Amino acid sequence: MQRSLSMDLPSLLPLQLPSRMETHLWYIRPDEVKCASLLNHYSQLLSPTEKDRVFQMRGDELKKNALLARTLVRTTIARYKTNNEVNPRSLMFKKNIYGKPEVDWQNYNNCNNPPLHFNISHTDSLIACGVTVHVPVGIDVENKERKIKHDVLAFAERFYSTDEVKFLSTILDPEVQRKEFIKLWTLKEAYVKALGKGFSAAPFNTFTIMSKAGTDGGYNLCKTSEMTVSSLEKTEKCYGEWKFALLELADSHYAAICTEDDQASGGAPMRVIVRRTIPFVEDEFISQSKLL
Amino acid sequence: MASLSTTSLSFKAPSTRISQVLRKGSSFQSVAFGRFASSTSKTSLRLQISCAAKAETVQKVSDIVKEQLALTADTPLTAESKFTALGADSLDTVEIVMALEEKFNISVEESDAQNITTIQEAADLIEDLVQKKPAA
Repeated sequence: MQRSLSMDLPSLLPLQLPSRMETHLWYIRPDEVKCASLLNHYSQLLSPTEKDRVFQMRGDELKKNALLARTLVRTTIARYKTNNEVNPRSLMFKKNIYGKPEVDWQNYNNCNNPPLHFNISHTDSLIACGVTVHVPVGIDVENKERKIKHDVLAFAERFYSTDEVKFLSTILDPEVQRKEFIKLWTLKEAYVKALGKGFSAAPFNTFTIMSKAGTDGGYNLCKTSEMTVSSLEKTEKCYGEWKFALLELADSHYAAICTEDDQASGGAPMRVIVRRTIPFVEDEFISQSKLL
Repeated sequence: MASLSTTSLSFKAPSTRISQVLRKGSSFQSVAFGRFASSTSKTSLRLQISCAAKAETVQKVSDIVKEQLALTADTPLTAESKFTALGADSLDTVEIVMALEEKFNISVEESDAQNITTIQEAADLIEDLVQKKPAA
């Protein structure tokens, strides 16, 4: 394998694939990456198309974040070595018919390619990548302090489901209401991204995500039935096929993860292993991920 | 400058849009240059008026986008700017659509909202929806 490293950097720490009941969540904080030569090294990992997209971003910060996002995806996937050494630079990606990015294992031509799924989300201060095996995954991160320009309830009435609007309208403190709105947003986004069929497949007002009563963490997905005679008869079917987890990352962000429920896990809650990373520089296992 | 740039961007718009304006199915280039060359043509006047309307819409959309994304005054912004290239995430895009609905008093279908990726596309959709609204 040709070494393309121009810097004297440690290799990526190799890892076991997540188990069926786990999601691995990797994140990077752009403000922790300032070294120009490191960024230059990262840019060498990208494909020409990816480089083009990075340069299309308007402004240095956006360019840097776009670069870090692609670096995070490539280096994260490359860590899960199976039989072959996976070079982050040679990984190829494709999109499913709805546009969701996936790994294209055509270069690694053997039948032992890991059934690895990934999904990425970025905010201006944190970029995250979730990895699962066998089941699709969707993630979304948002800054806890993100201000919504519109009135939160007006926004919810326009886009969220009736039950979610009801839930939000019972919250009197506007700050708490805003935070719950954002948590819901990340959960709903994570679901749509896990589904991988684009937003039109699951418009936000056609499903409700509610926290499970009486358990520590965990959420239920309930869908409004499409086939109703009248709006009064809308029934909500609750689906157990999707698992959710909501965490607080780095004290600053909410991260929602949605995976398809593998029946083999016996209904157990999702286990999330969180790591903060600066690829080739340091990886930190985050032992306490506050689950919400 | 704004109207000039809008006109040049309109060149890149699908030819059907120009043909809607001019009610002819002729090819892009010949229509555009031909029409501008003949200053007495009613059609070129119509084209200029429609382009002016679009420039104003584009400007209003740009202002909303700038505000939503908290862009600095010197951020390079054109009608072709992609929201994602300006740093918009999905929440930003939804907020932009809401602001556009309020500003122009229109209602955007979710499927249409998903297809808006640039300022020009937003302006085009708005013009479409405004046109289709029943007369007050």
